[in-house]
Amino acid sequence: MIIGKVVDDMYVSMLPEDVYPSDWEQPTLKVYLTAIVRDANGNIIKVHKQWSHSPTSNFMSLILPYNYYSNTGQGLPITNTGGSTYYYYSSYHPMCYPNNESNCQSYFVMIQVGSGSQSNPYSAHSLASPIANGTGTGQLIYGTPSVSSSPIVSGSSVYFYISQAFNNASGGTVTITEVGILINMYLYNPNGSVNTGNVLVWYDVLSSAISVPNGGTITIYYTFTVNP
Amino acid sequence: MMVSQNVVSEDDIILNGILSDKDIPGEPLFRAYVEAKVYDKEGHIIQYHRQPMKSLTQYFLALMTIPLLATYQSSSSTQANPIFTNITGIPSQMSTGIAIYIYWNASIQVGSGTQSFSPTLNSLAAPIANGTGGGELQYGTLSVGYTSTSFFVNVIVTNLSGSTINVTEIGLFGTIAWYNISTTYTFLLSYDTFSSPISIPNNALATFQVTITFSG
Repeated sequence: MIIGKVVDDMYVSMLPEDVYPSDWEQPTLKVYLTAIVRDANGNIIKVHKQWSHSPTSNFMSLILPYNYYSNTGQGLPITNTGGSTYYYYSSYHPMCYPNNESNCQSYFVMIQVGSGSQSNPYSAHSLASPIANGTGTGQLIYGTPSVSSSPIVSGSSVYFYISQAFNNASGGTVTITEVGILINMYLYNPNGSVNTGNVLVWYDVLSSAISVPNGGTITIYYTFTVNP
Repeated sequence: MMVSQNVVSEDDIILNGILSDKDIPGEPLFRAYVEAKVYDKEGHIIQYHRQPMKSLTQYFLALMTIPLLATYQSSSSTQANPIFTNITGIPSQMSTGIAIYIYWNASIQVGSGTQSFSPTLNSLAAPIANGTGGGELQYGTLSVGYTSTSFFVNVIVTNLSGSTINVTEIGLFGTIAWYNISTTYTFLLSYDTFSSPISIPNNALATFQVTITFSG
């Protein structure tokens, strides 16, 4: 804290960018990416846990409050996995809420895994090299994704997780290096045209590659925690 | 990273307990700050205060589920995601025959009290009302800015109460709303007490800002 009679000549931007004292407080939101690998016999052979770092620009466009759009009149881009870019304006809301008419559903699609990487996760709109769903070479069988139905509370900490299992029936080892979260949503153009598509909202390159042996399974968890 | 041989059943794994944070290389993604600037009636800054945001509520998590999970359970469902409705208490389906677009508006409220934090907290201990009466502040322009992985919410308040007002707590609120229906739900997204009070003299103006950064 700085108190002065007249301190308006203080160059505020010179104040420390990061004022988190290392021995005091940790960030109030943490996101973990956890992977558990089992061999063909069901034995756990690897547990991998890392910080998840990377909301994409799509996520940011969707998390921003409406005040931003209405006050600035600006739109922000939402790019689908096919590379087509749409814009979210105050008058073009992409997310419908469930009602008694089944219209404009936006829904969680999957955790997607891949074998590539890209250096700027923020601008990623798809995985660099998605691993296809199947039993062919280099492929994995995608299980049904799961989401906590209720928040999990522990003291002041609350979290929920998203998980999905992937089975390797390809006949060889499959190596995963990137992971992302995909949703499907309506996408609006200012000219009035409407499309739907998968949108990458979260993306991580693994801190070390994970190999899934033939016959094995990997389960990936994204855990979003406040006040850990 | 840990390699083990069938150490536990997967059902027994507590996700937050697999590895402690100290064992994970690097830094978590998130940084957030609350900031206050007080100006005297000549427009000079007389107090500047910035501190880390300490306490997000569970309602912030619920808000995050909208971009992460979207709004429907699946392509064939007409129900909202249970994680969203179980946190917020918002019905899983709105009864209307037309498309209803969901959005949220941010706001900031300051207060003169303090309270213990709970992730279900949904109000300040002693909110300072909008006005010019004793102990009141006039809430002015609210702005929202965005740069890459950050956004901030800023509000201007003016003290026309006739005496100094001390601000000791601040909350970021989110109001969830829909096009075409009038119902709204307001939630406290973050709650912080200032490490030292922010004193706003009579006739002075102050700005309060909450900045949220996903480092990307």
